Amino acid sequence: MRDKQRTDLAALLALVCAVVALFLANKYLDDYKIRIINLSGIYVTLGLSMNLINGFTGLFSLGHAGFMAVGAYTVALLTMPISMKEMNFFFQPIVPWLANVEVGFLPALLAAGLISAFLGVLIGAPVLRLRDDYLAIATLGFAEIIRVVFTNTQSLTNGALGLKGIPNYTNIWWSWGVAFITVWFVTSLIRGSYGKAFMAIREDEVAAQAMGINLFKHKVMSFAFASFFAGVAGGLLASLLGTIDPNMFRITLTFNILLIVVLGGLSRITGTVISAVVVTVMMEALRFLDESINLGFIEIKGVPGMRMVVFSIILILVVIVRKAGLMTRLKGRESSYAEN
Amino acid sequence: MKRRLGLALLVLAAVCVSWVGAAFAQPIKIGVFEPMTGPNAAGGEMTVEGIELAWEVRSEVLGREVQIIVVDNKSDKVEAANAVSRLIERDQVVAIIGSYGSSLSMAAGDIVKKAQIPTVGCSPTNPLVTLNNDYYFRVCFIDPFQGTVMANYAVNELGAKTAAVIQDVTQDYSVGLAKYFIDAFRRLTGNPNSIVEISSYNTGDQDFTAQLTNVKNKNPDVIFAPGNYGESALLIRQARDLGIDVPFLGGDTWEAPEFLSIGGEAVEGAVFSTHFTAEAPVTPESDRFLEIYRQKYGKEANAFAALGYDAYMLILDVIEKAGSAEPQAIRDGLAKVEGFVGATGIISLDENGDAVKSAVINRVDNGKFVYLTTVEPE
Repeated sequence: MRDKQRTDLAALLALVCAVVALFLANKYLDDYKIRIINLSGIYVTLGLSMNLINGFTGLFSLGHAGFMAVGAYTVALLTMPISMKEMNFFFQPIVPWLANVEVGFLPALLAAGLISAFLGVLIGAPVLRLRDDYLAIATLGFAEIIRVVFTNTQSLTNGALGLKGIPNYTNIWWSWGVAFITVWFVTSLIRGSYGKAFMAIREDEVAAQAMGINLFKHKVMSFAFASFFAGVAGGLLASLLGTIDPNMFRITLTFNILLIVVLGGLSRITGTVISAVVVTVMMEALRFLDESINLGFIEIKGVPGMRMVVFSIILILVVIVRKAGLMTRLKGRESSYAEN
Repeated sequence: MKRRLGLALLVLAAVCVSWVGAAFAQPIKIGVFEPMTGPNAAGGEMTVEGIELAWEVRSEVLGREVQIIVVDNKSDKVEAANAVSRLIERDQVVAIIGSYGSSLSMAAGDIVKKAQIPTVGCSPTNPLVTLNNDYYFRVCFIDPFQGTVMANYAVNELGAKTAAVIQDVTQDYSVGLAKYFIDAFRRLTGNPNSIVEISSYNTGDQDFTAQLTNVKNKNPDVIFAPGNYGESALLIRQARDLGIDVPFLGGDTWEAPEFLSIGGEAVEGAVFSTHFTAEAPVTPESDRFLEIYRQKYGKEANAFAALGYDAYMLILDVIEKAGSAEPQAIRDGLAKVEGFVGATGIISLDENGDAVKSAVINRVDNGKFVYLTTVEPE
């Protein structure tokens, strides 16, 4: 109990600090830094939504890029000005029912979330009967299917050519507003009876079922919530970049988020928030490693990709140090295997 | 008193020197964002080689030193946007060059437009890159032109009456080339049914027998198969194994040594359009470029290096003519470029900021790319 109170306090403090910091950042920082802050916010949302499935409910899902793609395309197609749609679809005209649609950012984001969640339920229903690695493969397949479908539906998504001219609505308040809502939502969910049920399922499915928890209902629910937020985050990303194409939503994108989740600790909300920000900022902060370094008397020629090497080394070190947290989680799994 | 005056003079002098120094010695910064890592790294690296070479040839304009700042975009859209934003905000560049890969260039589009920094693309051929963006230009031709050129070649040189198209549906340039080839081929043959088969595959596919069997049954005179060099070379090999012996046509991506090494005997006779050839220098500038490239890197130059070289030289030329290195002056100068003599040909930029220039057609002969002909823009 004392532990819980302490994390409560830490989370609240972090929130207050973050809001003040965001306010100052928005006022004084340049576009480049604000862009990084925006990205961090989006990755917080993504990390938390993935943590809900992979961490709290203990389902190994790799379908995040697919849900993001759905959200990104929904927001893009709903917010793009009509003239811009005509310009983009010079190959094959856009489907008539989308040609004259233009809505605000909030309804578009909500639609992105809802469509993703709906797909989450649709996919989740058959797939969530699978466990562990099988589930991972099935969800991975789903993400690939989404990408292939978007590549081939020329009159809906403009195919491989991609879309450009998506209005840049995303700003610090949108990206972090959504991030805070996600933090609040996931926290309340986990504290409530649903969260307890999720964690019971994670620890031991048979025992959870024996306690009267409807496994299927709870798994689908966790999946739907997570895909909702993944869709919203995808929409925010599309609006931040102003351009999307199907190749953006590859498996590597899912792995980037998985990396944030694992680094922050599975089932750790604060951990995910911190690691999302740290990973995003680090990738940019380490850029100086790629450049030539001039020491005055000698110039060291930059090696492109050096930052990736250093970044990976830091990752390995962090994971080794954080091993204790990860091991407890693994032990839980082993024991459940043993009982089976 | 005297001493104080001396001190004051000294301070004044120091201030003057530093002020004058700041005004004159401040280098002109040109940003370069290219994929130096990730799946597009090979193309990015070739382009940067060309840009660095150009910088060595000419590193001064208007009496000021020029500095190029290369940042990696990791072949990733999000990173590309970050990289460009960084160049503009942190490095305060006056112009930007990049990027290999149209989708990466598009990710930069909104940012350069908002910050009003002129940007010159080297090899992004997707028409969307420069559309509705007054700050994006490019020194290469676009997919519609390339596709049309190949259709012309197929009909006029090879006398083809029917054609089959096999496209990589995940690559924007492949889809683009295919579309314009199909349109032009139908128009030139006057027969709406002259395209007998359109098949698709995905990047990373290894087996093309299903598509090729369909194509074989339709018995076309030529096959147009734009795509990555790896997949294309495999595709042609499998076609030859299936006994398809009609000519294969493709686009600029085939110009890679790997295309020859993977394809081997099978790609003999394959014909493709490209931006540049080392064999038939189109301008005096091409000769110069080829020679210094050989000196520096000890190998033959490729189209991407040449385009990088041209993009840099074009920006410097514009700065010189405008007499100013202000971003707005460079943009206005770029919008008016007419008949710039580059290594890849004579470049004029149209109202969209796209280069209107000739294309080169190459053929594979005895394991080498051999120059066939040059096609002028309409």
